[in-house]
Amino acid sequence: MSVELSQSGQVLTATGLSAGYDGRPIVQDVNIEATPGKVVSIVGPNGSGKSTLLKSLVGVVPVLGGTVSVGAKDITNMTPEKVAALGVGYVPQIDDVFPPLTVKENLEIGGYLLARRDVATRIEAVLEFFPRLKVMLTRKAGKLSGGERKMLAMGRVLMLSPSVLVLDEPTANLAPIVATQLLEEYIRGFADHGSTVLLVEQRAKAALRISDWTCVLGGGRVVLEGAPRDLEQDPVFVESFLGGGTARHQAP
Amino acid sequence: MPAYAFYLATIIVYGAVDAMACLALNVEFGFAGISNFGFIIFQSVGAYVAAVLSMPPAATSNGGFQQYILGWHLAWPLPWIGAAIAGGLLALPFVFLVGKRLRGDFAAVGLLVSAVLLNVLVKDYVPLFNGDAGISIVPAPFQSHWNPQGLTYQFVYGGVAVLLTVVIYYVFRRITESPYGRSLRAMRDNDIVADSLGKSLRSQRTAVLVLGGMVAGLSGAILVGFISLWAPGAWGYAETIVLFAAIILGGAGNHKGAILGAILVPLGFEEITRFLPPLSNPTLVPALEWVAIGLLIILFLWFRPDGILPERRRILSGAQSDAVKLAPAPSGDSTDALIKLGNIDELDFRKLLRLHDIVNDHRVILSTQGLTKSFHGVTVVSDVSIEVNQGRVTGLIGPNGAGKSTTLAMLAGTLTPSGGKIFYDGRDITNVPSHQRAQMGLVRTFQLASEFKKLTVLENLVSAIPDQSGDSFWGALRGKRFWGREDRANIERAMEILGGFGLLHYADTYAGSLSGGQRRLVEIMRAMLAEPKVLLLDEPMAGVHPNLAHKIGDQLTRLAQGGMTILMVEHELSIMDAFCDPVIVLAEGRVLAEGTMAELRSKSEVVEAYLVG
Amino acid sequence: MSAVSVFMSSFGFGLMTAAVLAIATVGFTMQFAVTNVLNLAYGSVMINSAFVAYYFNARGMNAWVTLVFGMVTGAVVSWALNRFVFTPFQRRNLAPITVVIVALGVDLVGTFGLQAIVGGGYVSFRLAPGQEYHILGMFLSGMQLVILAICAVVLGMIHWLLKYTRLGKAMRATSANPNLARNSGVKTQMVISTTWLISGALCGLAGTVFAMNTGVFEATSAQLYIVMLLAAMFLGGPGEPYGAMFGALTIGLATEISAAYISPQYKEVVAFLALLGMLTFRPYGIFGSEKTN
Repeated sequence: MSVELSQSGQVLTATGLSAGYDGRPIVQDVNIEATPGKVVSIVGPNGSGKSTLLKSLVGVVPVLGGTVSVGAKDITNMTPEKVAALGVGYVPQIDDVFPPLTVKENLEIGGYLLARRDVATRIEAVLEFFPRLKVMLTRKAGKLSGGERKMLAMGRVLMLSPSVLVLDEPTANLAPIVATQLLEEYIRGFADHGSTVLLVEQRAKAALRISDWTCVLGGGRVVLEGAPRDLEQDPVFVESFLGGGTARHQAP
Repeated sequence: MPAYAFYLATIIVYGAVDAMACLALNVEFGFAGISNFGFIIFQSVGAYVAAVLSMPPAATSNGGFQQYILGWHLAWPLPWIGAAIAGGLLALPFVFLVGKRLRGDFAAVGLLVSAVLLNVLVKDYVPLFNGDAGISIVPAPFQSHWNPQGLTYQFVYGGVAVLLTVVIYYVFRRITESPYGRSLRAMRDNDIVADSLGKSLRSQRTAVLVLGGMVAGLSGAILVGFISLWAPGAWGYAETIVLFAAIILGGAGNHKGAILGAILVPLGFEEITRFLPPLSNPTLVPALEWVAIGLLIILFLWFRPDGILPERRRILSGAQSDAVKLAPAPSGDSTDALIKLGNIDELDFRKLLRLHDIVNDHRVILSTQGLTKSFHGVTVVSDVSIEVNQGRVTGLIGPNGAGKSTTLAMLAGTLTPSGGKIFYDGRDITNVPSHQRAQMGLVRTFQLASEFKKLTVLENLVSAIPDQSGDSFWGALRGKRFWGREDRANIERAMEILGGFGLLHYADTYAGSLSGGQRRLVEIMRAMLAEPKVLLLDEPMAGVHPNLAHKIGDQLTRLAQGGMTILMVEHELSIMDAFCDPVIVLAEGRVLAEGTMAELRSKSEVVEAYLVG
Repeated sequence: MSAVSVFMSSFGFGLMTAAVLAIATVGFTMQFAVTNVLNLAYGSVMINSAFVAYYFNARGMNAWVTLVFGMVTGAVVSWALNRFVFTPFQRRNLAPITVVIVALGVDLVGTFGLQAIVGGGYVSFRLAPGQEYHILGMFLSGMQLVILAICAVVLGMIHWLLKYTRLGKAMRATSANPNLARNSGVKTQMVISTTWLISGALCGLAGTVFAMNTGVFEATSAQLYIVMLLAAMFLGGPGEPYGAMFGALTIGLATEISAAYISPQYKEVVAFLALLGMLTFRPYGIFGSEKTN
């Protein structure tokens, strides 16, 4: 990476975390630690609470028990705007851009907390990173293709030079090649550059490939976790997430 | 003494008129969920029509100082009947506004504006109903029998009005406490889902608006016959808000609440102000009345939104079920309680879901040709052609945003395709509305919570059962004797299934207060009870414990063996592995591959796109 | 009068109606955009603002200066309404219709509370209409030209605000996706409050110039104005400030021109029909399309 995009990271920790709506926990007693320079991924079936977990970390879903912290700072139930100001960049799975705003305006909103004079230079830097967006600055975000849209969504959080990136299924609905590029080049790249990355990924295999640590969520709890190498050997994990016979059928 | 007697008679008539209006508006708003902000025009048209039907021709009346149409000089009860018919007919044009899936508040402002418009028109177009001055000297009904100035007349009039109110109360109860009433409340709670279960929103809303309009029209006729004049000043759109205030105060969805509200608000306010000492400023008292009504609405909606007499929870399970009595509802929503089903393996689905006449021949029952959908110029589903065989569990997988749910929604008619065709059992159904598809046996579930919140779990299930004799306007009117036995059987059927899913103790709980996983189960059960030939499931297992998901999967397989066709969108590969054959893979809005899971695993493009990435 | 001159003079009236309506509708639609509330109490805030301005005018202050008081009243009252009435109700996750009913209740309290205070009589601003100008066949008084100029300036400022300022972009972002705006560090509560202040100022301004342009007015004079607002808003698409300007222009001109050709008594009918047509066939506006998700 030629451009200094993300700050070197801080530790993001969740301890004994329960979270959900209307006082009903969807996520229960989860412990997670994401450290600088590492990609921590969360996998699990639909409805297992992956998105809810991420949302509770960044203040979108109420935390009902336990704590969340960034570095030394307790951010439990802090408002999303304060969490953003502390350097945690969150990209939701859907509704990840402002459709009626242009690409440039989306980036400007991403840089809302920057000093006014820094916004333009920062946009330059982000565009260096995602050059495809350069030619479509005045296009409305709602008119972008899936891949362009996700780049814009990532570009938006990069505007604040986050030290922690929280990404909810960033590869959903992307063409396979784009998805692979996003994961292996960009997301792995952030971590290699010293950022902290916490990632929910639907495709377990792909998640394992770029992760340093993977947690499996089931029914709102962490049911299994480990280094990818170990999980790949775990029969339960292989059976549930790599689709049983994958190893046999997957060529070459 | 007679002065008080006259006053009492007046109060009785006003009270009856207000009660009728509130009962009618409550059926529309409290039961069917139609926010008729233009309600007052229905009452008003009834008053005008009753007036001009009973008055002599305009030219001959009192030297022709008023202008109006008709002037048929009809004897009672014809003007009142005419008023009711006019109120009912007036409802028909508004069906265009409320008959579709328009945001409730948008439809409401449409009705509000219509009320304002009609008031302006009547005020300005004098030949119709004498313009701003209004119609006066309306002949009193039954004046050939009693002297309208006499006390007897006044009490007879009050008696007739009260009698009619009582009749209306019972007719309304008959409708709302029937299976049809259940469907109305289902529509109120979630119209899109009610539509997908085969309830025609247009027909239900038309029936309710026409019925409400007729009663409103009649109430206007009774009023104008008593006070003998009617003018635009008496029916500004704000009068409707008074009636809303009454219903909110009394209790929406409760007929007694509507009557109580009518007595407290429109009647009570009018009467209390009569006893205030006269003030120098003539506008002060009416102005303060309006302020008080505005405050009442706001304060009640804040502190007691269900009103003084809240809607009753309907206990359908009755005393028959020992299980309900014996097993207290478990407290809390612990996950453990949700991984066990009841005696589901013992259920005889063939009998419970009336699958007898289905021939299991694996023919193509549902197919699409070049199905396409775009939003904002972005194509979400592109040229999808698939075939679904009868009696099989077909899976639909693909990454998020691949167009699975959109495809499902188009199959069910929730979304209209931008291009392509859909065939069901040999018939092109591309343009068939969703409720008709449901009636033909093509039923869907939703990914997001879609229970009818203020219906009990049991009501949710029973509401889905097709072909209920009490689930039509006329069927409901024929009374419980007509549909009661059948409804009892339906309820028992639903309770058996509920027991099978281990949720019997929640039978009489409002579905809205269940946990997420329980609500999913309610939705699956409800869709089954719609007795579909083809069941379209949109991620039915999301939020359901994996152990439970596999047990439900087993039941789906059983249903398919019994002849039901199932198309299931699902994320989880283990479910697909275990239960679905064949499986269709969608990616970026297109069909990528189709086959058994084993076959799909051998295709590198599928593995690339979905399985491993 | 020749056909052309009838048309042009009614065009002039239409322009006046449209100008006032545009300011009002932009405020109304901005409130809908950031809080998803159809604020049916808008008309009562307009007329209350007009009466505050009139209060100072009747005590000798120049009418144009009192516009400031009208705007401040509108801003403060609207902000308070959102903060103390609409937001608390919305936090309870009620159906949109409940909040609309609450708004109707507020409208009654506002309109008739005012009537209880000022009485039922008509009043009018002490404001010289000024010389009459004859421009392109339109007859416009000096006062009306000033109102037109104010409207043009205000709409220009709104355009500048939405398109070129940080706050304006934050408003549009909040309207499009409030959660994402917060995740980007936008204090949406603040943005929403500011939006209600600004839209409330527009409401106050619209109410005051409406009262000036009408001539005589009383407490219930703006009661039916909500219909024009709704028509203009739905024509341009709910929540769309530029759509509101377009809708206001269309409705303003259409009502006055139809008044000249059909009958002035039925001029509102055009607005009613436009609104009903839009609600029935294109509830998301002429340019809008149904939102996904």
